[in-house]
Amino acid sequence: MTPTNGSYDAIVIGGGHNALVTAAYLGKAGRRVLVLEQREVVGGLLETIELAPGARVPRYAHTVGRLRPAVVRELGLKARGLSLAAPAVRVFAPQADGRAIVLRADVAETAAGLRAWSEADAEAYAGFDRLVRALGGFMSSLAEATPPDVAGPSLGDAIAGLRLGRRFRGLGTLDGRTILRVLPMPVADFVAESLETDALQAAIAWRGVRYAAMGPWSAGTTAHLLADAAGNDGGAAGETVVAIGGPGALVNALALAARGAGAEVRTGARVVAVTSRDGAVTGVTLESGEQIEAPIVVGGIDPKHLLVDLADPVAVGPQLRWRAGNIRTPGVTAKVNLVLKKLPVFPAAGGDESLLRGRILLAEGIDPIERAFDAAKYGQISQTPILEAMIPSLLDPSLVEGAPAGTQVMSVIVQYAPRNLRDTDWDAQRDALGDRVVERLGSVAPGIAKLVKAREVLTPLDLEREHGLAGGHPLHGEPALDSWFAWRPLLGHARYRMPLAGLYLCGSGAHPGGGVTGGPGQNAAREILADSRSRRR
Amino acid sequence: MPERYDAVIIGGGHNGLISAAYLARAGLRTLVLERRHVLGGAAVTEEIVPGFRFSVASYVVSLLRPEVIRELDLPRHGLEILPLDGTLTPVRPGEGPASGGGDYLWRVNDHGRTVRELRRWSLADAEAYEEYGQLMVEMARFIKPILGIIPPDPTANDPRGLMPVASLLRSFQQLPQRQQAVFVQLMTMSATDFLRQWFVTDPLIATMSASGIIGTYLGIQSPGTAYVLLHHYMGEIDGAFRAWGIPRGGTGGISYAIASAAQALGAEIRTEAPVARINLKGDRATGVVLESGEEIEAAHVLSSADAKVTFLDLLEPGTLPPEFEAEIRRFKFRGSSGKVNLAVDRLPDFTCLPGYGEHLRGAISFSPSVDDMERAYDDAKYGHWSRRPYVDMIIPTLVDPAMAPPGKHVISCFVQYAPYKLDPSLGTWDDNREAFGDAVIDRIAEFAPNIRDIIVGRQVLTPLDIERTMGLTEGNIFQGELTLEQLFFNRPVPGYARFRTPLRNLWLSGSSTHPGGGIMGANGRLAAIELLRSLGRKAA
Repeated sequence: MTPTNGSYDAIVIGGGHNALVTAAYLGKAGRRVLVLEQREVVGGLLETIELAPGARVPRYAHTVGRLRPAVVRELGLKARGLSLAAPAVRVFAPQADGRAIVLRADVAETAAGLRAWSEADAEAYAGFDRLVRALGGFMSSLAEATPPDVAGPSLGDAIAGLRLGRRFRGLGTLDGRTILRVLPMPVADFVAESLETDALQAAIAWRGVRYAAMGPWSAGTTAHLLADAAGNDGGAAGETVVAIGGPGALVNALALAARGAGAEVRTGARVVAVTSRDGAVTGVTLESGEQIEAPIVVGGIDPKHLLVDLADPVAVGPQLRWRAGNIRTPGVTAKVNLVLKKLPVFPAAGGDESLLRGRILLAEGIDPIERAFDAAKYGQISQTPILEAMIPSLLDPSLVEGAPAGTQVMSVIVQYAPRNLRDTDWDAQRDALGDRVVERLGSVAPGIAKLVKAREVLTPLDLEREHGLAGGHPLHGEPALDSWFAWRPLLGHARYRMPLAGLYLCGSGAHPGGGVTGGPGQNAAREILADSRSRRR
Repeated sequence: MPERYDAVIIGGGHNGLISAAYLARAGLRTLVLERRHVLGGAAVTEEIVPGFRFSVASYVVSLLRPEVIRELDLPRHGLEILPLDGTLTPVRPGEGPASGGGDYLWRVNDHGRTVRELRRWSLADAEAYEEYGQLMVEMARFIKPILGIIPPDPTANDPRGLMPVASLLRSFQQLPQRQQAVFVQLMTMSATDFLRQWFVTDPLIATMSASGIIGTYLGIQSPGTAYVLLHHYMGEIDGAFRAWGIPRGGTGGISYAIASAAQALGAEIRTEAPVARINLKGDRATGVVLESGEEIEAAHVLSSADAKVTFLDLLEPGTLPPEFEAEIRRFKFRGSSGKVNLAVDRLPDFTCLPGYGEHLRGAISFSPSVDDMERAYDDAKYGHWSRRPYVDMIIPTLVDPAMAPPGKHVISCFVQYAPYKLDPSLGTWDDNREAFGDAVIDRIAEFAPNIRDIIVGRQVLTPLDIERTMGLTEGNIFQGELTLEQLFFNRPVPGYARFRTPLRNLWLSGSSTHPGGGIMGANGRLAAIELLRSLGRKAA
């Protein structure tokens, strides 16, 4: 039976992973929650699709290693079918000369392998890994915190500040000074302070620019790298963890958790307006015209869309609307998914199949990443885009269970491919990009083009159309210094509370930002519940 | 028996001279040692072509601290700033609203005229310009005190050092939210992204952004370049004394005014006295040895040379704590600017505004589009000087005719980018100097085709030349890059941002310290104040 109006405590707009996390936490706290997803499936950018009969592939995100352990535990995701697998090889970066940089879960083994490249790097790697972990550890504390209220800090803020301060002191004077110095730095400089091999620097620095309209020489990309290393077991090599059954399996577990906590999930329900009265939200309006009431509305969508398109302009006010309209969402990432007749041969792997289980990275050096980024500045698709590919079916054969024997699936993140192209448009360029990516893969896996049985190309425009993401930006906003911590998405609204009473943000546009972490979702639920408790009192 | 001073100052640039003046004013027996035959460091005037005098390197003043001008009474010592009015941006034919021989964007101090000019380009921009200007003045008013603060060490256990920051935080909290947000954006954004929030006119964004990349190895779309936009509004709030223009007699005029003030206060100044080494006894500085072998004893040694020269060239290897030395080696210089000085027998003639006119009396910015600026940076990123560089041109003789023979002119061209480290395939800067100079002339000729015909003398200054002549490491005009991680409590290295060094009685007072470079003088003044405070004295 469909509950009638007035029967919901909270409506969550969007059914992405953060939205489901928030819904589950609110449900667990006894709130009646309705999740409204415009697509026919929930999960947002976490989706497993069947690209050829019996062959399933991660449609957008392909790794889930940054998922917050507390979220997994508290929402009982393992019991709801989430099963993770992590390869021993985290990164395999084949080079033009036939060699490869290999980053493994085991630091000592990685260092030993680096000896073939540079004695100095082999010596320095463990120290660099330690530094990244130490700084990442602090970033993880930061990620868990609700940013302070800059305008008028309360006692709670002061206590939270002290807690962070203690964590900061825990770093020690040396690491403490280091983090303040390196956060605003270009990631190219950060890696170069410890390591000398260009290909190795690039394999690490890539995570400082992934999904960002920035190159390794852009200031602040070190912060993005360290955020990626925050928590779990990232380190210098970074996470490489997949969900068995693809990212869709994580979504299923989250949806089960949300429903299990009493949340109702409606798909095919597109919200076109957030309704409000006297500065407080009253509910939402669907495309069908249906109105649903609730005193709390939580946006799992990007903040620009929420504040500029959905909220009442009069209630938001011209100044904040102007600021929200200026939230930078320069999407530069495309995705190419392939079904392959059999495993392609990478000569640089020398027949060692285990090397292909991690992230396969085509980022040959710092300058090559920077040059690929240069194209995006002028509204062009890079001729030699940076590729992060995975062959998840090697780790998880269930993905190709129903397909002919030998079938593998490949998931490729492609950067830089800007949302706004000059002199052409994405509908005209989609296939060309697919061809370019397959051709580039062919440079390290000769003959791969002949193995392609099915292909899907998702451009930033597709992300905008299908998922409603402003600028086709998968992180709901640029992960840059001007959109960070107490000013993500906007200074004065970084505490998950949006400018209308009862309106909240729980998506990647909020601190601690994008990626499959559940962090914004969990933090937002905490703040929503804190507000509603203090109201009830 | 060697002579003994209370303080000896290495380097007779503007900061060294300012430190000397303040120390002498407090009664310290002070000596300044300058390597070259002229004072001023990068703020020098020299006769490069017979009869033509040039501000060789630094060419405008915008930031000289009013308290320095006031406290040292510089106008009485000959300082006179001649105002510059306006910035002209020539634009290629077909790229502006006008048809025919090229267009231009010309902004002047007269606000009404500028708004009328902007209306020609975009009504919305003309409207936004007003609001933007107001906001920037308010921001400049807020940020100004930071330039006068001695940075704290955030990792120190003593909270007293954090006091000035706490008061800063309080005044931040009193700002309206929109201004708070804009302040954060200024500290973190790229100049171009910041400006795009208000404007759409491409040459306007490019030209305003250009001020954000002066002296940095960054592009106008690189995060961290927005902050410098503020500097242009600092002058607005200084009231009576508008510190934006060119000094009479070139920038050397400033140096000589400060030197005269310092001497009047009792400081001694010696030129052609290059320091070879700083003497130590244990971990305490005791004086310096000149290249001539002469020893000079002093209770305190203040170096206004940059951090690399001071710590790595003037000290015996092995005297610094290894951690500190590693941080100094990490400090980034990466000079990115060049200078082309021209002696001409006629004025340049611009296609967009032919003939002589007011438009030549201000700055002429060769920044026709954001793409032009960004491509200039792209060249530099990969080790090539910009093939079509950004040029900031000034014709000082139009406001100070004494700099050249009657009827003739000097032209000062600040050029970016000229990366210190060239791609090895290009050879050295000695191999590239003239080609780089030609590229600058070609760039100017795109908009003022007569330029080649009017040149009677030319001086091309590459970053290598700046390093050789002025002793600035890697030719960085700010004694170290002004990037976010090298500012405030991180300048020059974390833990040593308070003008002190790991060696007792050795102080740093040049642009390598907070608040960085430019003819500002805050560094030299704050260093002197900090030294005097350590002696229990006030800066009189």
